[in-house]
Amino acid sequence: MATPSPAPNSPINGASQIMETAFEKKRGISDVEVRPGFTQVHVTRVPGDLVDGRMAVLDAVEKVHVSIDFLKMSNTGLSFLVSQDSADRIRVAFSGLDCDFDLVQDRAIVLVHAVNMRDEEGMIAGIVRRAIRTGAPVEHVTDMHDRMLLVMAHSDALAFETSLEAEIETELQATGSEFVGGVAHV
Amino acid sequence: MSERNRRVRVMKFGGTSVATPEARLQAAMRVVSAREKGIEPVVVVSAIGRKGMPYATDTLINLLYDIDEDIDPDQRELDLLIACGEILSAVVFAHTLKSLGHSAMALRGGQAGIRTDGVYGNARIASINPLAMFRALDEGKIPVVCGFQGVFVPYPELPGGELTTLGRGGSDTTASAVGAAMKAEAVEIYTDVDGVKTADPDAVKQAPTLRKVSYDEVAEIAHLGAKVVHPRAAEIAMKYGIPLWVKNTFSDDEGTEIVPREQVPGRRLTGVTHTGKLVYMMFDLGASTGTHRAELEGHLYSTLEKYGVQLYMLNLSPTSTGFAVPRDQFPIVQDVLDGLVLPLGDGAEKTIYVVQIGKASPEVETQVELLKGFGEVRRIPAELTEGCTMVSLVGHEYMQQAGVFLNVLKALKDAQITVLQTSDSDFSLSCLIPEADTSRAVRTLHERFELSQTH
Repeated sequence: MATPSPAPNSPINGASQIMETAFEKKRGISDVEVRPGFTQVHVTRVPGDLVDGRMAVLDAVEKVHVSIDFLKMSNTGLSFLVSQDSADRIRVAFSGLDCDFDLVQDRAIVLVHAVNMRDEEGMIAGIVRRAIRTGAPVEHVTDMHDRMLLVMAHSDALAFETSLEAEIETELQATGSEFVGGVAHV
Repeated sequence: MSERNRRVRVMKFGGTSVATPEARLQAAMRVVSAREKGIEPVVVVSAIGRKGMPYATDTLINLLYDIDEDIDPDQRELDLLIACGEILSAVVFAHTLKSLGHSAMALRGGQAGIRTDGVYGNARIASINPLAMFRALDEGKIPVVCGFQGVFVPYPELPGGELTTLGRGGSDTTASAVGAAMKAEAVEIYTDVDGVKTADPDAVKQAPTLRKVSYDEVAEIAHLGAKVVHPRAAEIAMKYGIPLWVKNTFSDDEGTEIVPREQVPGRRLTGVTHTGKLVYMMFDLGASTGTHRAELEGHLYSTLEKYGVQLYMLNLSPTSTGFAVPRDQFPIVQDVLDGLVLPLGDGAEKTIYVVQIGKASPEVETQVELLKGFGEVRRIPAELTEGCTMVSLVGHEYMQQAGVFLNVLKALKDAQITVLQTSDSDFSLSCLIPEADTSRAVRTLHERFELSQTH
């Protein structure tokens, strides 16, 4: 196999490009939004054995009827996101459990919308790269077919949203389009 | 005949439906049957056969790599080459229809009026002028359109334009767009399974066929590895209100209709999917200090973006960053990241970081020794877990319930399947597991969540 070369993009330099298609949505980021009101739960020590201990933690969370998102395994436990108003119930759930945990308030989810992520080579890495470049700690990342979701502090999320929108605006201006209310228009 | 009174139906046949003379005959009989019911069929075809077969896309690409595997083909030339697969398929299919006594006409994408943007290898459809297809119908011919391709016209004064291909799922996209342009009564995507199933039938033989699936569901299961109709095709059909079906060329099952979300309301599970082979990498950033950590991470992701690497199961923490990549992209990652040297900071702050993927190669060891003369050298090692796959439970308005994740993890634990990492979104819960356990994990989740009862 040949040495890898960077992914191709626009092929014909100087040629006029059709910027919007009548049939298909424009490729790339189309919208950014921030959902505030979450608490990040870090469980840094679980009761007993790691695998069973994680189960015990999740069992305790289920018993207080709290829905979790962004579950991640760590070397010593696990972490997840809950709605801010569930934080007290998490404290109750863990009160009888032999574990160490930390609740980090005021988290937000940044939703970066872009159609058919998997078809656009490098797009997911590009969005993570942009988030890291803001200098804000990104606590979790996940993806769907038409959006990426990143968890960070609410203030960092707003700053990331602003920087990303400015970047899209600049790109769209360069191509003769405009960014209006989160939707690209030609 | 005016467009309004026409009963146009787009029938798209995938690789397995046109792979052999017998399969083509069955596919052609479906077209003939539709015509005999007063429908005006417009056929869209994929290239003949799947991976490894004589006229399949990968076989055509190998014609170039067989000459010199160290020279990457130009994407423009590659588009010209791989488009031959569909051209051949369209001509052969049209001839099959003729053998059944029906006049037919093969059309390249450009001849069918499909205009695209100018991105070779992953073009998007800009417009379709369906005149040639309507004219063929008016002349009593069945248009057989090459899927997956169109033309880009960079300069109006340039005759012919540039042939482009539409990327993944391109033939499905062609079918939907042709259906929209011709105001078709339906677009039917024919394959070798009865429709969208609750799991890969190779893993769960009795997996039921879903009768209705929403656009979001089909897009998400495709994103998570299931080989069904491509989201781009579903998106176009939804936008233009064209009924979209997935059917089996080789059976009379009614198939799956892809519909707006409102038609499948409420909470439900869609199915269990799995990706192909993945390699999971966890980079230990513990050796980096202060602002270097963000810079290092930025460089890693910037390189992955530049080389178009697909990422799954992203996992960021203050001291590490991890992700899975498809097994076939791992050599690229290894080539561009293993031994990557990143000098960061100035003066006394200057540190030279060397990325090391898995066990240090002799080249990386030599590199580290040589660099020691230029300042402090620190390694950024990445722990590798090869032979993984991702299984996902997909549904809507289901994942937000308390205890779903616990139930998934318990089911896999009971089946003695190791979960290496997890990931989730509004529509899915995913677990990274050893590849050897794929079928068992799919069966386990299918059973635990009673997906056999889904329809």
